[in-house]
Amino acid sequence: MKILVIEDNIELLKDIKNFLEVEGNICEIAHTYKSAYSKVGYFPYDILIVDIGLPDGNGLDIIKEVKKENIDAGIIIISARNAVGDRIHGLEIGADDYLTKPFYLAELNARIKALYRRKVYNGSREIFFNEIKIKPDSHEVFVNNHLLNLTKKEFDIFHFFVVNRHRLLTKEAIAEHLWGDHIEMADSFNFIYTHLANLRKKIAGSGGRDYIKSIYSVGYKFTDRE
Amino acid sequence: MNLVRKTNTYYLIFLAFLFPIMVTVDYYLIQYIVNSEVEEILLHESERINFHLVEEGTFPASNYLFETTPVSEDIAFSPKFKDTLFYEAYADKRIPYRTYEFIAQVHSQNVRISLKHVLLEINELILLLFVTTTLVLLVLVTGLFFINQKIYRWAWSPFFKNLTTLNNYDVAQKQSIHLEPSNILEFEELNKVVTSLIDQVKKDFQNLKEFNQNISHEIQTPLAIIRNKIVLLLESQNLDSKELQWVQAVYQETNKLSKIEKSLTLISRIENQEFKRLDSVDVRLLIENIMNNMIEMITFKKLKVKTNLNPVKIKCDLVLADILFTNLIKNAVQHNHEGGSIEMFLSEEKFEIINTGDESLIETAQLFNRFQKGNASKESLGLGLAINQRICELYGFRLDYNRQGRIHTFSLFFQ
Repeated sequence: MKILVIEDNIELLKDIKNFLEVEGNICEIAHTYKSAYSKVGYFPYDILIVDIGLPDGNGLDIIKEVKKENIDAGIIIISARNAVGDRIHGLEIGADDYLTKPFYLAELNARIKALYRRKVYNGSREIFFNEIKIKPDSHEVFVNNHLLNLTKKEFDIFHFFVVNRHRLLTKEAIAEHLWGDHIEMADSFNFIYTHLANLRKKIAGSGGRDYIKSIYSVGYKFTDRE
Repeated sequence: MNLVRKTNTYYLIFLAFLFPIMVTVDYYLIQYIVNSEVEEILLHESERINFHLVEEGTFPASNYLFETTPVSEDIAFSPKFKDTLFYEAYADKRIPYRTYEFIAQVHSQNVRISLKHVLLEINELILLLFVTTTLVLLVLVTGLFFINQKIYRWAWSPFFKNLTTLNNYDVAQKQSIHLEPSNILEFEELNKVVTSLIDQVKKDFQNLKEFNQNISHEIQTPLAIIRNKIVLLLESQNLDSKELQWVQAVYQETNKLSKIEKSLTLISRIENQEFKRLDSVDVRLLIENIMNNMIEMITFKKLKVKTNLNPVKIKCDLVLADILFTNLIKNAVQHNHEGGSIEMFLSEEKFEIINTGDESLIETAQLFNRFQKGNASKESLGLGLAINQRICELYGFRLDYNRQGRIHTFSLFFQ
């Protein structure tokens, strides 16, 4: 898909661009309001990632412009201002999602894919990975066409892994994905460890391969590469 | 007690002291005046009788003369006044008289002459004084009361208008405060002081708000970059174990820093009253949602949960309510031991959450302080309860903590 990232910090912009390009997306960047404004006007994008605080303008105005011009693009706001007002206002004027800085790139990636699926396929598209099939809208996972019996959190973890395949997912990123922003759970890492063990067992029970690899002690990677 | 009642009370207390003093002073004053008047009359009469005796040799007709007694010449006698009671047949009682005795010569014979003049009866005098003084004071009090009422309404009106303005004023609003001007010097001065104070508070409020926004933006963006780079470093997979430990430590501390900043900014924003929405929050539904998000963690820790939740609605910001209850429930899960229990009760009056856990080492009073941890758990920042405390202060809730052995109870009173 084609993505435009509007963000004034060049370094963060490069991180996001690199991350998304590895996923096979075409990713363009704009670090001012002006350049973002002209790009949105000239080229079609599937997804816009918009930072609210730009040096020469407000990201919300770009969203308003996009909506006014009837441009059909999914919009995700990224903002360091964790103001509830901003979030509500952003969603009201037509943004689809809102992420507060600092976010994990894996989280942004998951949100982009979910949004894209909602927009283009009405959420009905299945995700395939070798012998694995995921139906995101009904929270179902099939291994060799055999439905796995997963708890909600197990599905969340697994889905998060599959959309971020071949990526290192730190335990912190997984925990935040599962419980949200302001929860720091003392036992969350143990919980993740145990649930991954359960998941592996369930997948193995349906004849699936173990794609979940532990990376040092910092996190996990879902991959079929060596 | 309002101003006019307070003033009136002071007037009444003052009058209560003044009243007996006034009666006493009046009593002696009037007695003195009456006595000296009577004495003057009697002296005058004695002069007149003396004169008549010398000129005519006889007693004149006198209303005051009542007794003449011949006395021997060698008795030393000086004229004197006296108070005496005489029986009066017409009244059938003894009546007070002022008498004056002096010596005069009648036909070369010394005669002691007594003059008398009736006095007011003391009882009557006191009664009279009491009645008149009371009357005067009553008129005075009523007058003062009405004058006070008038003053209260007229002179203080700008003061009360300003009081209402101040009551309704919110430093978060854009326009500055406008106070009713007054021609009373003190009120005008009060207005000046209050206006400048409010301007200062307003400026501080704006500064703090801006600071909160800036610090979030300026710190969280670099933190995001640091974190992304660390993940790249970890993904490169050619670190030795020592380097790995360092990078991991940097990663953890970066996350901690980010969370601390978020929490402190949140506290600051609550204190700065930036949360204005008053949603009608269905507490039971909220708790059920939070429990749903944690149910697997609860199962994982093999916790027994018992709930008795009545449908309750409170007025507050939904985001803050979510944080408040999430923190409480999260604490009960987090500080529990495997196989422990959690009990929750919700009523119109309060929410109570009781959980098993370790014996906490810190005092109850310190529990709500920032960075105060119940145990040395690495991931806990010790800011959750400090945030809860601020939320409770904002809405007038009360959060109590109670521990009996290994049983911890948090009670949240809604009003």
